[in-house]
Amino acid sequence: QLIDFQWKLGMAVSSDSCRSLKYPYVAVMLKVADHSGQVKNKSFEMTIPQFQNFYRQFKEIAAIIETV
Amino acid sequence: MAGELESCKPLSGLLSGLAQDAFYGHPGITEELLRSQLYPDVPIEEFRPFQAKMRGILKSIASADMDFNQLEAFLTAQTKKQGGITSDQAAVISKFWKSHKTKIRESLMNQSRWDSGLRGLSWRVDGKSQSRHSAEIHTPVAIMELEIGKSGQEFQNRVISSSSSSSSSTANT
Repeated sequence: QLIDFQWKLGMAVSSDSCRSLKYPYVAVMLKVADHSGQVKNKSFEMTIPQFQNFYRQFKEIAAIIETV
Repeated sequence: MAGELESCKPLSGLLSGLAQDAFYGHPGITEELLRSQLYPDVPIEEFRPFQAKMRGILKSIASADMDFNQLEAFLTAQTKKQGGITSDQAAVISKFWKSHKTKIRESLMNQSRWDSGLRGLSWRVDGKSQSRHSAEIHTPVAIMELEIGKSGQEFQNRVISSSSSSSSSTANT
């Protein structure tokens, strides 16, 4: 079960392989509880196009869940 | 032998091979492979500094994510340098960067992502009519399956977002 959803919008400015990276990304931290109640953190990163798809999916779920 | 190195036909192939190695991380692109495939008549002692120079130029261009003005200025400077490149070679490099820039940049972005990525997302909405834990009748539930992992590694996680209120608050984030 989803307990908490945290997000961060970051900008990777530079790295050892690319000095001029300029790469925006969305990092997400999910707090999830399993059936025993144990809470686990899951984190992952998305590019902006991935995030936009992610957001679209959520919007779709929200719309459908209202009609159920 | 210098004439061989100045010839532009194999340069495009060399840049491609260097990009495969430096940016896309393809294994097995050795100096000897590149030499034997593209400049077979050039001895290794001459080829080595030449490919190092081209690799350096390509890395500088990629690292600075040069736009076309910066690229022209940079390549012009390289042609004027002692031991630099010819203007024909500059033209080949310019053409190469223009057609590969996006792909190389994407590869560099991927190299700098060390956290897991979202590899897949699927979902389902269930309309529950009854629940063991709550007296609510007809509680819709959204179930999401997120595939989270680094490349070469995948974890499937099922995340259940219960009830319509928590799903809509997540969508508004």
